[in-house]
Amino acid sequence: MLRQLIKIMRRGDMIIVILLFLLSFLPLAIFTYVQASVSDDATKIAVVKMDNEIIETITLTGNRGTQSFEIVADDGDINTVEIIDEKIRIRSATCPDQVCILTSFIENPGETIVCIPHKVVIEIQAENHHEELLISS
Amino acid sequence: MTNNQRLVFIALLASQAVIISLLERAIPFPFAVAPGAKLGLANMITIMALYTLSTKDTMHVIGIRITLASLLGGTISTLMYSGAGALLSFIGMVLMKKIGGNKISIIGVSVVGAVLHNVGQLLIASMVANTWTVMLYLPVLSMIGILSGIAIGIAANYILTHVNRLNYYKDLQTFQVERG
Repeated sequence: MLRQLIKIMRRGDMIIVILLFLLSFLPLAIFTYVQASVSDDATKIAVVKMDNEIIETITLTGNRGTQSFEIVADDGDINTVEIIDEKIRIRSATCPDQVCILTSFIENPGETIVCIPHKVVIEIQAENHHEELLISS
Repeated sequence: MTNNQRLVFIALLASQAVIISLLERAIPFPFAVAPGAKLGLANMITIMALYTLSTKDTMHVIGIRITLASLLGGTISTLMYSGAGALLSFIGMVLMKKIGGNKISIIGVSVVGAVLHNVGQLLIASMVANTWTVMLYLPVLSMIGILSGIAIGIAANYILTHVNRLNYYKDLQTFQVERG
């Protein structure tokens, strides 16, 4: 297969592969850039949304101990959210792909946990004491 | 290629693509690290169509595949996701093939298709979730997309060069293009 690859592969292909590889990091770069403008002393708030409606907001800064609650949708979908100290995660979910659970804990402003099948989004927002919110959805 | 031959060939490719997507769905998920990643085996058929049929007929093949595969084993949301992915990857592949010309082989076309498929799906996902941070998932997906795209490109190249019947169709098309 490798010999075949070398035989077909042209320089243009290599350029495309490298270019696509680099471009796929573009969202990450923008994200890091946006996040850099949030100051450290901001209050971190986790906003839990379902179907684009806010169903819970939790102040993470200064939070201690373990709390957990369940998000139950009308059609029986369940996501269990767990907050340990200043981190938040989805501990278990009845969705098929389990992406939200693999995302694990988040704690920094701008980070999100997304459960597409259940339309549940947890987003950490920063509330600056001096200026307006810089992170928006 | 007569009109009937063309129709039969489109139907043949479309049905193969539907079967392949259904089979692929039945394979248990191979990458535990990246849910949502797929091998994209059906892309092989799209590439074959792209290299043997006209752009318009390739679109027909893709349209039939998406509609039938979603009807046979999907939901409205899978239709949305695979539709957006397929549309974007098709546009990308056609452009790549046109612009690239001789400098870009079937592998480059296939890789572009694979990565753009992921981009399309993530775009829909960020629209559903209403936050663009979903796009942060792109590097993982596109990494797997690039690898599987290369593999699919080699496979498609094998098929194109080794199956005489396909070459026959390829010749027929160029013949038609040259005359018309």
